[in-house]
Amino acid sequence: MHTWTHGMIAACLCAWSACAGADADGLDWSLRGLLDLRYLDTGGQAAALNGGLGKFRYSGERVLVNQAALVAQARLNWDWSASVTGKYAYAQDNPIDFSEALLQYRPVGDSAWRLSGRFGAFLPPVSLENSGLAWSSPYTLSNSAINSWIGEEVKVFGSELQLNYQFAPGNKIGLFAAGFGNNDTAGVLLAWRGWDLSDYVAGFGDSYQVPKSVNIAGLFPKQAAQTQPFSEVDNQPGYYVGFNIESSQRLKLRGMFYDNRGNPSVSRMGQYSWHTRFGNLGLKLQLPWNFELIGESLLGETQMGAERGGLFAVDTTFWAESLLLSWAYRQHRLSVRYDDFGASGHDYLPQDPTSETGHAVTCNYNFTFAEHHQLNLEFSQIDSQRASRAELGLTPGQNQTLWQIAYRFFF
Amino acid sequence: MTLANGAWLLLAICLPAAAATVGGDLSDQNGAPVVNAVISLRPLSGSPPIAKPPAAVELDQRNREFIPHVLVAPLGAAVNFPNHDHILHHVYSFSPAKRFELKLYKDVTPPPVVFDQAGVAVLGCNIHDWMVAYVYVSDTPYYAQSDASGHWSIAAPAGAYRLNIWHPYLAGAPLAADVVAGDAQAAPLRFSLDLKTRAATGKPPDSLQFGEGYNGEP
Repeated sequence: MHTWTHGMIAACLCAWSACAGADADGLDWSLRGLLDLRYLDTGGQAAALNGGLGKFRYSGERVLVNQAALVAQARLNWDWSASVTGKYAYAQDNPIDFSEALLQYRPVGDSAWRLSGRFGAFLPPVSLENSGLAWSSPYTLSNSAINSWIGEEVKVFGSELQLNYQFAPGNKIGLFAAGFGNNDTAGVLLAWRGWDLSDYVAGFGDSYQVPKSVNIAGLFPKQAAQTQPFSEVDNQPGYYVGFNIESSQRLKLRGMFYDNRGNPSVSRMGQYSWHTRFGNLGLKLQLPWNFELIGESLLGETQMGAERGGLFAVDTTFWAESLLLSWAYRQHRLSVRYDDFGASGHDYLPQDPTSETGHAVTCNYNFTFAEHHQLNLEFSQIDSQRASRAELGLTPGQNQTLWQIAYRFFF
Repeated sequence: MTLANGAWLLLAICLPAAAATVGGDLSDQNGAPVVNAVISLRPLSGSPPIAKPPAAVELDQRNREFIPHVLVAPLGAAVNFPNHDHILHHVYSFSPAKRFELKLYKDVTPPPVVFDQAGVAVLGCNIHDWMVAYVYVSDTPYYAQSDASGHWSIAAPAGAYRLNIWHPYLAGAPLAADVVAGDAQAAPLRFSLDLKTRAATGKPPDSLQFGEGYNGEP
């Protein structure tokens, strides 16, 4: 008994010292963040995220704290790490909310094959622009039309597995697949409001005002005045699958297909389940003389409401593409992006037109100094045609501009 | 890849087995000096002697970077991987020349890795994707690495050699030429290399916008 007790104590001490060792040396964590201050000059149509049919996130604001985000990363062991992004953002529903929280599995093997994964709440891998901290872009302040929508409405709670074959560190080809929930309302804004240019990433508890123009309350009395982008309505999981080809510092090609498998006849607590699927393809190329080219395209469809004779209450096909050219010279970066987008409705309710067309140009100059600081000057212009604006007494064709000066601090 | 004028004009004057020096300069397709090229000599007849591995070879992790970016070591060299950062690194290689992984704790140097096969091992860090280093394992003791001005020099017994030039960013196959070591007064050898990139790879990002590293996206 005595020996047994000693053995137990010794074993406990060993285990404790092993844990303590892991704590002292094995656990690695970091806290990083960004502060984003803006001076704006904008036309003043109702903001895209506040029930308006404008194409920017702002409507007449001048000076604001656009975002303050913190990213905490912890290495749990050599294969697993955790990452959480919390933020304050201008016009966010809750003063503080989270935009991503996930576990990452990434073991090292001695073979060229590598299996890795992400588990939790995260953005599907669509954007090739938003490679910075807290999904910020080093190229522009406003994201492309595609990535504006991804940030606003496409976030999953699920598991993603990646299988890569590596030729050398950084050179790889791979496949990935994910199963997820909590994204049944993806498509609401795209159908009822249309595309926009914003830099907003939805928080877990976020909600956006549903556009007021198209008598949604009359046509869909069950729809709440707010849409909640991160919600599960029909308890039916969705999936996405894709491929990636990457050559370190030379090119990245990625394509994926997303289907939230929403059951369009289900609604719950003011939220409908939208059946949204899209395919997208992105290419990022490093060109000579420090030029970079990013091209992305996306084509999809969203349906809502019970099917009636092969038609839905809302059925909108949407597409967008963007081409970004960026030139870096020392700490300076100059970027120009062209966006082209559209949507077309083909449903049995002509009272809520969801069709639109448009294109946008964004020019950004930024200067990064002392690793931490970045000054931006950006101009964006969007030309768009949207029939549903007529219901607000507006002309369907609108031309909007936005000037932004931003100071961003990274730590 | 071109051989500059005079590259072949190295003369054998000294007695066989006497020590001689072969050296020269490397430039790229734009005429700029090439650093970090590995130049090696193998005798045209017979095999090279086996080099005695040096006592200590180090590949350092410092400021989230492998230092040096290119390490040349003789066959059998034991390479230490000290971690001078206050964060973890997870070094790995799946190159056929040497497959290994090393978990690097803060300020703790694990036992060295023995590179027992000639060739190039490409090293990465599983935590910091940009970190890349190359270990060139040489089975001949006659080798050199070009410096920042593109200069290199190898001491070897007088004789005829096959000269090889390798660089991590080389656009094609390694450059090869036959040379004769012997004349101490011989003109320096000048070679031009066709490089894929001049941008230094393996460096951490220069803006904190890019965070600590791996973001997990496919």
